[in-house]
Amino acid sequence: MKYGFFPGCAYKTAAGYEESVNAVNSLLGIELVEIRDWNCCGATAAFSREENSALALAARIMALAEQQGFSEIVTVCNACYATLKKAEHKLSGNPQRLKKVNGFLKADGLTLNQPVPVRHYLDVLIEDIPLEVWIQGKKTVFPFHDRVAAYYGCQLTRPYGEPSQAERPDRLEKLLLALGVPVVKHSAQTLCCGASHIIGYEKQCLPLISRITGEMKNKGAEIITTLCPMCQFNLDYGQEKIQGKKLPVTYFTQVIGLAMGIAPESLGLDKLLVSLILKRRPQHAI
Amino acid sequence: MAEQGFVESFTMEEEKLQQEFYESHHGKEILKCIQCGTCSGSCPLTDQMDHAPRELFSLIRDGFMADALCSNTPWFCVSCYQCMVRCPREIPVTDLMYALKQMAVSHDVAQPSNKMPDLYDAFSREVKRAGKMNETGLMARYGLKHPLDMPAKTGLALRLYRRGRLAIKSDKTRNPDQIRRMMETQPEGMEK
Repeated sequence: MKYGFFPGCAYKTAAGYEESVNAVNSLLGIELVEIRDWNCCGATAAFSREENSALALAARIMALAEQQGFSEIVTVCNACYATLKKAEHKLSGNPQRLKKVNGFLKADGLTLNQPVPVRHYLDVLIEDIPLEVWIQGKKTVFPFHDRVAAYYGCQLTRPYGEPSQAERPDRLEKLLLALGVPVVKHSAQTLCCGASHIIGYEKQCLPLISRITGEMKNKGAEIITTLCPMCQFNLDYGQEKIQGKKLPVTYFTQVIGLAMGIAPESLGLDKLLVSLILKRRPQHAI
Repeated sequence: MAEQGFVESFTMEEEKLQQEFYESHHGKEILKCIQCGTCSGSCPLTDQMDHAPRELFSLIRDGFMADALCSNTPWFCVSCYQCMVRCPREIPVTDLMYALKQMAVSHDVAQPSNKMPDLYDAFSREVKRAGKMNETGLMARYGLKHPLDMPAKTGLALRLYRRGRLAIKSDKTRNPDQIRRMMETQPEGMEK
């Protein structure tokens, strides 16, 4: 399966995200084709300053995707997802606004005919990959030994997701359970980690991070798994400033990779600040 | 940057500013607010805000636009959208926080003591330069404005670099100048 891929600016330097996404892709036969010449989506910063140019940034990515023949855009970052989704919503069914956004894109020789739907990679794994493909891809048959807490962060499930998944989602847990990964039930799944406020307001963000990681520890988690580079960084780094036991903060693709039998060395796990030491190394690792 | 006493300088304009918020930024949505405080109670950084969201909407409805636009509240909004999905009146609270930030920027009254306007400014300059956001460039620009924040971050930067988590050489789009031009274009009559 082939998708237009928007990696976003934080992907290349995210701790093993790229390695693990590539590993999972090759196991499941997914092809993420990078949208050529993509630009920054603008994240929360652009919309905090000026609406029209912020919309133009997102629309340019869509215009490139359209030009390169992609009917969907797949992203791996919650902030990119929410930003592009916001543009998708603002431009859908609003030909007048679309026309005006095209006025911006003209400066770059581009046109957007209609907003291109945006999806998170998690959604692709859940919705598009049939069970047989997962079974064929799985190289191990033993259970995963470490209890995992899923952390969705804010912007994937809100405000554009299913209302029933906005605060207490369960899609990632279901997927992990199906792969034999023990997950813990906890109340911090979609609490905010402070996002980019950590740059200027670290002291104010630490209580938010402590609330999340503390809850996960209380519920018996041994590994945290995330869906977004910003969330991963804030929890991974933030724990250093908080007393007590620290949990390794992985990407969901790293946990999925381990559960599928991919060798830990192929998943970029050595890039985490809080090291991941598995109770038992996966056998039959490829 | 706004100077001290700037609040007084545009009090006469408050009615006009209220109209701008209502008409150009979907601000009329706050007329539905029943002052239940769900937004303020859901906000992760409400303890940092001078007026929590419920109170901010009340100020705006009563015409205190200077207080609202100079408030630190929208700048402490982390865009977690918790208030927005919980609001019983379906007011797009987070979107309205963006609107207030945009208005504060365009009227040049963005909270001078808050660091977020500088961070967002640094972010957008970096995107105009490279078409993409590079952490090193972003932090260098931000650090010029807030040098005291930087020493603590240097050690972290080094550790991230050793783990291949920090790019020194910046990644660019094919022609960043086109992105800059695009971001600076202002077609007439674009709705907010």
